[in-house]
Amino acid sequence: MRKPIQRIMVYIDGSEPSITGAQYAICLASLSGAELVACYIVNTTAVEELLRAKIFLRDEQIEYERDMEADAERYLNYVGDLAARKGVAIIREKGRGSVHKEIVEAVKRHDVDLLVVGELSQIRSRRDEFYSEAERAMRAAPCSVLIVKDEDRVSEMYESLA
Amino acid sequence: MALLDLVVPEVVKIPLVSKDKSGVLRELVAVLRDAGKIQDFDAVLRVVQDREDKQSTGLEEGIAVPHGKTPAVSTLQLAIGVAPDGIDFNSLDGKPTKLFFLLVGSPDQTGPHVQALADVARLARSKTLCRALAGAETREQVVELMRCE
Repeated sequence: MRKPIQRIMVYIDGSEPSITGAQYAICLASLSGAELVACYIVNTTAVEELLRAKIFLRDEQIEYERDMEADAERYLNYVGDLAARKGVAIIREKGRGSVHKEIVEAVKRHDVDLLVVGELSQIRSRRDEFYSEAERAMRAAPCSVLIVKDEDRVSEMYESLA
Repeated sequence: MALLDLVVPEVVKIPLVSKDKSGVLRELVAVLRDAGKIQDFDAVLRVVQDREDKQSTGLEEGIAVPHGKTPAVSTLQLAIGVAPDGIDFNSLDGKPTKLFFLLVGSPDQTGPHVQALADVARLARSKTLCRALAGAETREQVVELMRCE
């Protein structure tokens, strides 16, 4: 029988819930022997949208994209370090564009069995505009999706992992 | 952090009492200070004022989105202000601005900051919602209009 989970992908965006998601994914990968992909998408679509809406100036667009690229490196390195401490290697996936679309493409490209995302906002809106990118990815992903909750519990689990 | 997570009554002010642009910026930053969201009032005011000095964030249809990045905040912060009579904010269409969304983020959390600004940009395209928000009479009404509770 094929192992139910051979490759996990965790989506990180620099938020605390996404780091908690990464800790959980590291535990899962360690215990299941699955490969782990850490994915960060530089949201250039949103930046372009802000330029079109005239909220951003051209030099702001450049500055924010540069900062997001730096964030991507920093958080992928951070999750790589978290994983290495537990003897887990990560495959780095850094993309640019529309976050939820790029996540789905990365899932397909890496033949991912399980997408892990951090806790979503508990606040609902009557407006579709406020769906988060993680929520959009969760709906569009072609694989199973795990939403990680309870930061304290996950942190304890991660720390106790040999 | 989603934009909606930031929308709580404590960060909404209705009505804004200032009658000019610099006063509105001070008033919105003061909302964050009084809500306990920021410690360094001057640093936050400076970053949004510097951005306004380059070009007004007053858009069309009575909406403005003052914003900036500063190490003075550790997480993304939002303040919303409503000026029912409108304020001259040097907006793109020259019309008075009634609805203000001030967003200040940390330089090392640019992704959530950009996402929240994009959420506001999409919100600004809904004339019906913007009219309703600009016509809100209480902080709770603003929260109610944006959430589904």
